Amino acid sequence: MSSKENSYLEIEQLCQQELEKLQLEEETLLADLNGMLNQKTYIEDKIRGLSRLIPTLKIMKNEAQDLVETINDISESSEKISSKIRQLDSARGHGDECLLRVNDLIDLEICSQGVQQAILDLDYEKGAAHVHRFLSMDQTLLKRTANDMNNVSNMLNSVRTLQEAANQLQAIVEHKFNEAVNAEDLAAIERFFKIFPLLGMHEQGLKNFCTFLRTKLALTAEKNLKVAVTTPLADKRHPIIYADTMILLFEGLARVIETHQPLFETYYGPGRLISAVNILQKECDTQVKRIIMEWSKTRQIQKKIQQINEMSRMTSSGSFNKLEKIDPKDLDILIGEISLMHYRCELYIKFIERKIAADIDVGIADQEQRTKTTKTLEQLILNSELSQCKHDLLSHYLKLEQYFMEESVAKAVNMDQLEPSFQTSSLVDDTFFIVRKSIRRSISTGSLDGICVTINNACRVLENDFCDVIKARLKQGYPSGYLDLTQAYNVLQNSIQQGRLQSGDTEQSRTSFIVALNNADNSTKYVNALVDSIMKETEGACPNLNATEKGKLESCLSGISGVSVKLSEILDYGFQQLKSTVIKPRVNPWVDQFLNFSHQLTEDELSAYEAGESFIQILIMNLETLLSSFKDILTANNYENFIKVLTTEVTQRFEKVIMKSQFNRLGGLVLDKDVRSLAGYITSGTYWSARDQFARLTQIATILNFEQIDEINEYWGNSDGAITWRLSPSEIKSILNLRSDFRSDDIKRLRL
Amino acid sequence: MFCICLWVFPFASVQVLVGNAGVGKTCLVRRFTQGLFPPGQGATIGVDFMIKTVEVGNEKVKLQIWDTAGQERFRSITQSYYRSAHALILVYDISCQPTFDCLPDWLREIEEYASSKVLRVLVGNKIDRDDREIPTQVGEEFAERHNMYFLETSAKESDNVERLFMQIADDLMKQARMTNAQRYDPSHYNVEPTTTDSGCCSRLN
Ligand SMILES: Nc1nc2c(ncn2[C@@H]2O[C@H](COP(=O)(O)OP(=O)(O)OP(=O)(O)O)[C@@H](O)[C@H]2O)c(=O)[nH]1
Ligand SMILES: [Mg+2]
Repeated sequence: MSSKENSYLEIEQLCQQELEKLQLEEETLLADLNGMLNQKTYIEDKIRGLSRLIPTLKIMKNEAQDLVETINDISESSEKISSKIRQLDSARGHGDECLLRVNDLIDLEICSQGVQQAILDLDYEKGAAHVHRFLSMDQTLLKRTANDMNNVSNMLNSVRTLQEAANQLQAIVEHKFNEAVNAEDLAAIERFFKIFPLLGMHEQGLKNFCTFLRTKLALTAEKNLKVAVTTPLADKRHPIIYADTMILLFEGLARVIETHQPLFETYYGPGRLISAVNILQKECDTQVKRIIMEWSKTRQIQKKIQQINEMSRMTSSGSFNKLEKIDPKDLDILIGEISLMHYRCELYIKFIERKIAADIDVGIADQEQRTKTTKTLEQLILNSELSQCKHDLLSHYLKLEQYFMEESVAKAVNMDQLEPSFQTSSLVDDTFFIVRKSIRRSISTGSLDGICVTINNACRVLENDFCDVIKARLKQGYPSGYLDLTQAYNVLQNSIQQGRLQSGDTEQSRTSFIVALNNADNSTKYVNALVDSIMKETEGACPNLNATEKGKLESCLSGISGVSVKLSEILDYGFQQLKSTVIKPRVNPWVDQFLNFSHQLTEDELSAYEAGESFIQILIMNLETLLSSFKDILTANNYENFIKVLTTEVTQRFEKVIMKSQFNRLGGLVLDKDVRSLAGYITSGTYWSARDQFARLTQIATILNFEQIDEINEYWGNSDGAITWRLSPSEIKSILNLRSDFRSDDIKRLRL
Repeated sequence: MFCICLWVFPFASVQVLVGNAGVGKTCLVRRFTQGLFPPGQGATIGVDFMIKTVEVGNEKVKLQIWDTAGQERFRSITQSYYRSAHALILVYDISCQPTFDCLPDWLREIEEYASSKVLRVLVGNKIDRDDREIPTQVGEEFAERHNMYFLETSAKESDNVERLFMQIADDLMKQARMTNAQRYDPSHYNVEPTTTDSGCCSRLN
């Protein structure tokens, strides 16, 4: 029973649960229904609105259909129209052609009738105009027309007439032109010159006309050359009279080209200047060659060049020079004239190139034709006698300029003079004046090759002839002078024995050495200035250098830097000499005095030492005397270097003697003071910082001035006072060992 | 002052080509620098200048090549370039006896104007031609007699051209390294000349 009851209870419970679930569901459903009810009115409103739109939509659909049909119609008809237009176009083309043929036929008729009459009337312009019209007709078209026509013979007659007339006119005009030339009838010449192109005789016309211009140019040139040859020596222009003659020629040619170019362009069309210039160039070539020949004869160029060549052969083979040397001064003016002549050739060539290139640019559209004409221009210039003469002039120029530079520098070396109040001698100023002059002149030739070669030659002269002279003087050495009386006595004895005791002998050698040293220093400045100025001036004279040409120039200029290197080697050498003959023999005994003092002082000894003349005071005094004897005779740079060398020597020696001494606390204190005052003295004397050279010495003094060994730790490793040590740990330890009051066991135990 | 002159890499080496007109100097240079054989190459006027940077054993070398004109009229221009040359390439045409016969004249020019240390190379060009007049052996012997390197080339067929210039670059580089090592060595700077110094030099020679 109870089990049954139990099962009922279970069922009841289940039912109860189910009921609750259903109730819950009912509630949610009710809530949903309420929500829907609320929305109903809103949705109904929307539906009403939409239904009102339906009629409008129907209308739209119909209209769209209409539109599509219309568009189709339009496209169809436009297709039709365009095909019509095409037909129309070709029809008009036919019409035009017909019109042209008709016009041609009419003109043909007119021309053939007119041309004969014109010839009879001697109205060549009119006749030529008819022929020109005939020639402008499309000849193939004419033939086609003839085939289409019934009255063929009539038309062929006209053509024949015109062809005959053209031939006739060509002959007449050519003849008349020549007559006019012979009669020097300028008006007639111009008249027939203008008729040639109408008859299709462009090249012939240009040739005839330019040949005429040639004869006129030749006359003027001949006259000018005669004037040049007979110019008296006293004339101001005599030295450059041939350069003048040349410019007259070029100016005349340029004027002819300038004034006639518009005529050529108007009557012959653009792009024909090259033909004209081609003919004129022949005259230019002839005349330039004559001028050069005359010039060469008058100035005796061959003889001079030969003489120079022979001389260089003799000096290079070392044989005795019996030949009379040409004074470079005598060549100066001649070289100037050549550079001027060369420059003028260069200018004229540039002028033609520019003119023709511009004419080709506007006149010739066809790319292939243009390249071909440009090539012709290149060849015209390359093969011209003018170019050949220009090369020869440059060659002469370079030979003479090289000789001028070499010989003038040699002269400057020979005439080198010491001016009493100067630190340098005349050699430096003179040499660089000459070199600069030569290079300037080469720039004035307008030839990059000329400039480069002159720079190369200048490098050679400076490196060999000039630097070697300075080096040789330094090699003679700096007489060390008398360090004491015994030495003085020995020197005196030696000189007497060798019989070469002259007053001021040593003094002179010394001056010569110092001056050579100063010369080297000054030359360095000159070299740098030279490079700068060449760069600037060349850019001014040849403004349109391309990358390769710039590279060429820069590469040659870098050769001059080679001179700088050589000069600094020379200076190096000179200072090594001074070091061993002047500095070392004096400085070493001075510093060695340090060994004669005790550096283990009591308080009393310290006061006594400071009261008396201390080691460092004497050293500084000695250095002062030595420095002051060099201060005014050396250039600023050299003096600075002298101090540098001296400082190195003093500090190194000082280190050595310190390492040979023993110190106590007070001795270290004194040393530290001494080093400071020495460094103070030397650094104050120059703007160059000698502090770095004192670094090791200062550090040594600092160590010897320690109160206790472990003070080193304040300066070492990562501590606040750490410094950059110039001394190695083992060096530091051996320096600490110099302190008699430090125990070597403690020093050994230091961890550095 | 007291500047120690260091040879800075990449260093520039200067090569100059000489020889009679028309032996093919310009063609050789253009083959090497531009990789082409120029048709209708005109005679050189004065000197031409070209630069090519090549690599020799991981290091860049800038070759400055001066291509001189063979025509006599340009001699006063071309001569001035011999002095700064590190290498001189003397070219003749194996199919043209006169260009070979002129070699002694060229050597005389080189003696007179070039540095004595210059590297000299003799080149017989145009070996593609079948009208050879100078046997290889003759060229070789001439070079040996005058202490020159020897090579036969064809600018047209690009035979040995690359090798010619690269060999020179290589040699110059080696030379430079040796001078360089000498200059760099700090022990040579402070120490007075000693026997080790001369020992080093003799090793070089
Ligand atoms: N068959 C052949 N012809 C060559 C070779 N190299 C050059 N040529 C030809 O030789 C001629 C002269 O060559 P260039 O390179 O202008 O001679 P170059 O030595 O520079 O002459 P210059 O500048 O006047 O001193 C040209 O016509 C070249 O085509 C070659 O290797 N083989
Ligand atoms: Mg060439």
